[in-house]
Amino acid sequence: MNTLFFTFIAVLSLYIFFNLGKVRSSQKQRNRADRVKWNKSPWQGQKATQVSEQRDGTKIIDVAAEDVENKSDKA
Amino acid sequence: MSRHAALETFGRSGNPVFGEKFSQRQNFAGSQAMSLEGAVNKTGILLALCFGGSFIGWSNPGLIWIGLILGFVAAIYTSFVPRNAHIGAPAYALLEGIALGGISMMFEAQYPGIVIQAIGLTFGILASLLFAYKSGLILPTQNFRLMLFSATAGIALLYLVSFIMSFFGSSIGFIHNNGLFGIGFSLFVVAIAALNLVLDFDFIEQGSEMGLPKYMEWYGAFALMVTLVWLYLEILRLLAKLQSRR
Repeated sequence: MNTLFFTFIAVLSLYIFFNLGKVRSSQKQRNRADRVKWNKSPWQGQKATQVSEQRDGTKIIDVAAEDVENKSDKA
Repeated sequence: MSRHAALETFGRSGNPVFGEKFSQRQNFAGSQAMSLEGAVNKTGILLALCFGGSFIGWSNPGLIWIGLILGFVAAIYTSFVPRNAHIGAPAYALLEGIALGGISMMFEAQYPGIVIQAIGLTFGILASLLFAYKSGLILPTQNFRLMLFSATAGIALLYLVSFIMSFFGSSIGFIHNNGLFGIGFSLFVVAIAALNLVLDFDFIEQGSEMGLPKYMEWYGAFALMVTLVWLYLEILRLLAKLQSRR
């Protein structure tokens, strides 16, 4: 009985893996800014916004680049 | 993903291994690019090879050390030369299967029925975490990765020290005994091994989104396989500790 139960779990789990594995993740998983950055080493954590002030008083804000939509391209 | 966001995610490499892999993303498209389906199918091939190897190991337990050592060599080679993962990953799966077959046979002789329980639990955890990842119940971040990396490195160091101490007739008692602390430690290691699966899913998902070269399917499947082998062994140890208390 024990063997049958665990065999059933193993087969069912493999079935789920081979079907669900080929499906894309949810939007919630994909569309977020804090995803793992695989090009960076693990100890390079989430980068905080850095603001540095220049001698002339201007400020440089160092943050992640964002998508900028150009409305004139759509027209 | 916009061009700028892609650059932020993959373009500025701090890690030479991943940086080199991800920087080639734009040269590949269509059938030449990594896909989810390809990675899952290749994981299936590796699992089949591992099961095949385990039948050999089960009937020849003397091959355990050969499987472990050569499997380790194949794993190191694949990690550093991902371009040849189509050779290294199947070799790793087969050799590790031989070692797992022998180890499983020894556990089964001592605790009948333990192997099928460990297999069922391993694949059960795989499917549950895959569902949690795909649905967005678990959202891995860079800090999550750091936490897992630290915990995994700590466990590896502890095992290494214990292994070296065993040559001098000593060992770190609590990681091997069946007391409450030993079982708690095993539970912790199983949890860390299981959470590593989430990172593997994320690597495969992001790699296919960015259109990495095709051979990275083998590399992703290999990463998943390494974690599954580790998870299976830890579950086997945990179940053995639990059964030895009866």
